[in-house]
Amino acid sequence: MNAIIETSLLGRSAASVRDTVPLLDIRGLRIEYRGRDESVVAVPGVSLQIAAGESYGLVGESGCGKTTTAMAIMGYLGGMGRIAGGSIRFEGQELVGASAAQLRTIRGRRVAMVYQEPMSALNPVKTIGAQLMEVPRRHLGASRAEARELSATMLENVKLPDPLAMLKRYPHQLSGGQQQRIVIAMALLARPALLLLDEPTTGLDVTVEAAILDLIADLRKQYGTSLLYISHNLGLIASACDRVGIMYSGEMIEEASTAALFSHPRHPYTQGLLDCIPAIGSAKGTRSLAPIPGHLPLPHERPDGCWFGPRCAHFEAQTCAGDSIPLVPAGDEGHQVRCVRWQQIDVTPPWVPVELTAAPERAATLIIDNVSKQYPLSGSRRTVRANEQVSFVVGKGEIMGLVGESGCGKSSLARILVGLEEATSGSIRFADDELAQVPAKKRAKDMLKSIQMVFQNPDSTLNPSHSVAWPIRRALRKFGGYRDKAAIERRLRELLDLVRLPPEVAQRRPAQLSGGQKQRIAIARAFATNPSLIVADEPVSALDVSVQAAVVTLLLDIQKERQTTLLFISHDLALVRHVADKIVVMYLGRVMEKGLAEEIFAPPYHPYTEALLSAVHSPGDSAQKHDRIRLVGETPSPVDVPPGCRFASRCHRKLGDICDTVAPPVRRASATHEIACHISLESLRAVRPVFENPLPEAHTS
Amino acid sequence: MSFLEPDAAVPLAVRTPAAPRRAWLKLFRSRTAVIGLCLILFWVVLAALAPFLPLPSPTAQDAMAMVDPTPSAAHWLGTDILGRDILARLIFGARTVLAVAPLSVAVAMVAGIALGMLAGYFGGWIEALVDRFSDLVLAFPVLILYVILIANVGASVLNIVIATTIASAPGIGRIVRGLVLDLKQQEYVAAARLRAESTFYIMVFELLPNCRGPLFVDACLRIGYTIITIGILGFLGLGLPPPNPDWGGMVRETTTVINVWPLMSIAPSVAIVSLVLGFNLLADGMREAWKP
Repeated sequence: MNAIIETSLLGRSAASVRDTVPLLDIRGLRIEYRGRDESVVAVPGVSLQIAAGESYGLVGESGCGKTTTAMAIMGYLGGMGRIAGGSIRFEGQELVGASAAQLRTIRGRRVAMVYQEPMSALNPVKTIGAQLMEVPRRHLGASRAEARELSATMLENVKLPDPLAMLKRYPHQLSGGQQQRIVIAMALLARPALLLLDEPTTGLDVTVEAAILDLIADLRKQYGTSLLYISHNLGLIASACDRVGIMYSGEMIEEASTAALFSHPRHPYTQGLLDCIPAIGSAKGTRSLAPIPGHLPLPHERPDGCWFGPRCAHFEAQTCAGDSIPLVPAGDEGHQVRCVRWQQIDVTPPWVPVELTAAPERAATLIIDNVSKQYPLSGSRRTVRANEQVSFVVGKGEIMGLVGESGCGKSSLARILVGLEEATSGSIRFADDELAQVPAKKRAKDMLKSIQMVFQNPDSTLNPSHSVAWPIRRALRKFGGYRDKAAIERRLRELLDLVRLPPEVAQRRPAQLSGGQKQRIAIARAFATNPSLIVADEPVSALDVSVQAAVVTLLLDIQKERQTTLLFISHDLALVRHVADKIVVMYLGRVMEKGLAEEIFAPPYHPYTEALLSAVHSPGDSAQKHDRIRLVGETPSPVDVPPGCRFASRCHRKLGDICDTVAPPVRRASATHEIACHISLESLRAVRPVFENPLPEAHTS
Repeated sequence: MSFLEPDAAVPLAVRTPAAPRRAWLKLFRSRTAVIGLCLILFWVVLAALAPFLPLPSPTAQDAMAMVDPTPSAAHWLGTDILGRDILARLIFGARTVLAVAPLSVAVAMVAGIALGMLAGYFGGWIEALVDRFSDLVLAFPVLILYVILIANVGASVLNIVIATTIASAPGIGRIVRGLVLDLKQQEYVAAARLRAESTFYIMVFELLPNCRGPLFVDACLRIGYTIITIGILGFLGLGLPPPNPDWGGMVRETTTVINVWPLMSIAPSVAIVSLVLGFNLLADGMREAWKP
């Protein structure tokens, strides 16, 4: 009954619209940015249709024009951008060239957008209520009381606790996940027919991301809203969209239903993107990541013929380099591809197995024992407990994966290890030196030399004022004992070669390099001192997938060659599985589970590990996953930690009061596998595995 | 090219057309900056060439002109009440202003950067100390500070430098502290610490170069303020001792006859305004050209 009212509220029946015209019909859209001297054609001509109630995914690497397209739909191209041709029809009405007044009746009312950064979409000086109520008052002409009621109901719909209290709060009082829910609520309040989601969950933790995606899917069912997802995350798109379009350098290069695209990708670029992502189902050593060579061409670098040509393994000069390539139907209904050779080429993945070397028993080199770190909160006696009683052992030449969501203490542990912070208590022994309370300044030269770090953010890892070679030269002079200039330059060249960068790069400033190149320099800098332990804190999380694959492969190659011990910190479980020999799962400063990589990915799981695994979106595995586990709430504050199990407040397998009050015992599932949980090992073993089939379907066929 | 080099072969220069080295060139694209620079250069060139220009001495009195101090072929801008050539006094006056103002700002910069670096980098009690000191100085009207200092010790270049330093250093320190608070969190600073670099190295080579944009802008503005202050001091009779040509002093000496021969006061006032405007426009232009 309710559903009928909802539909009639929209003013027209969704079904009738679907029969006549698509809700959103973009044809030949051309977007230009005015430069100082010339215009840059960001998007030369993109066409896409979204039917009423459909969920469409637009995928591509950064700079491919996906966000620009969405901004054009909203009419937000800014002062420099303009629509230079084509049409955008929404509900049959032309938006290109529409007056500001006409656009106002559509924007926010019929089309709404959810941005990547929720904090910047909310006004920090207004209460949530004031911001939400504005929408129905402005667009639906509701009275204050009605608006308040609608807002409260919507907050309930986006599953925020205690809506009435929430209305009185300010954005900064909410967590990132809650803020994004508010933004979604705000977007949905006007009952838009189309919701644009620009990387809606980037920057959120995986379990929070999973919950938000479920929420959006539910709301879509409830309101019949069409969705346009914009993301670089293929896994997310695979699970959330009906149809997918792949954009490359401003062009649509392949479009198909989600099932068709992921089972039979036709374009070599699409396949390349799929090969770049480690599949969560595949263990270390079963498949190499295959990065795509080259880079996305900038608008003025687009070659004749196929724009992907220079990077394509199937490139043939006669067929691919001539005229511009049209988008042609390929096989299944609605499947289109911009490739002239799609019928001749076989883009089934090159199944590159890595030779497996039986891991010998390694001598322990890094022993972390009972490390705790507390930060005093200024102005109070309370402390933030970043790490508590963290213990694990890493063997020489091993790769240890450290996994957990934000606030789990993984970065703080990394900083203690390299000496940027000091542990409050506990001991860290590396090669017989005690490190836990020795800051970098007090460390002996040899110790500093042997432990180096690769940082997370390519934009802050290099000093913008110096050439990229500067820090490497400094490290060589300080630690390498190189005195004479020629020797330093020779070694510098070797290091650049090691990270596969041409020697000319040395004199460049960081601003002239891409993110991937900067991370390569950061890796070269870390290896300049010949370290025996590298701490890599989310080294690729800020990079595009194709670059991510290349940088990870590079790091692994160097690690293998030099037998460096590697502590690899990441929130990306699929990546960690691809990389690590052993894994430690942390939550709120505590180790929840640790073991060999294969032990972590199969029962018995710690319930938190289980939830993390089931939150992962990976293309091609959706069929194998049974009901996902969804965590409720968000990671509690590390200030007031529960006395019992840290995870108790969100655990889906909580036993009862014992979890809240008594610290869980550490259960040994095997010599190498430990789980900190009150639930008995037998029960944990009986849990249905998250991944039924260890290998993704697409690759076994 | 090996297959595993996806982004290694990127044509390196195309990523960002504006390389840091070309930041200064970018300045010439801003019309504001160019106008400001022209105004400043106008005075700098005149001041530099002053001894070589066919000008009468700025202190020589022309008894003939005292009868009619209005502009003539001999005195293009006329003379002041003592029969001294206004143009010569303006140009020689520019020499003092252009030497003293940048010098005092440079000294203030050094002091301010040191304070700000210490406060921002170390935090804690050092920051609290620097902050309270800054509050104290900033709460004090700058002009009073100058007057007290100069009235007690006498007018000289050194005094102006000291007074400017005391008055400006806290403001510069605040700017630097704010920048450093953010910059010290950057990963390249952590990387430097892992190379066991000294704190001094980190401050000077890692942090300071990244403060330069805002500091150049601020220095330009402060040179402008200092020129005004020197003018005011001259006008109050606390400037450089006579018979040195001094723009502020020139206005002061002629206020009594402003109704009869307004040019005598207007000319030095316009000089002050044009030079200050030049520095302000240059500062605005820098901000515009270097905005991220």
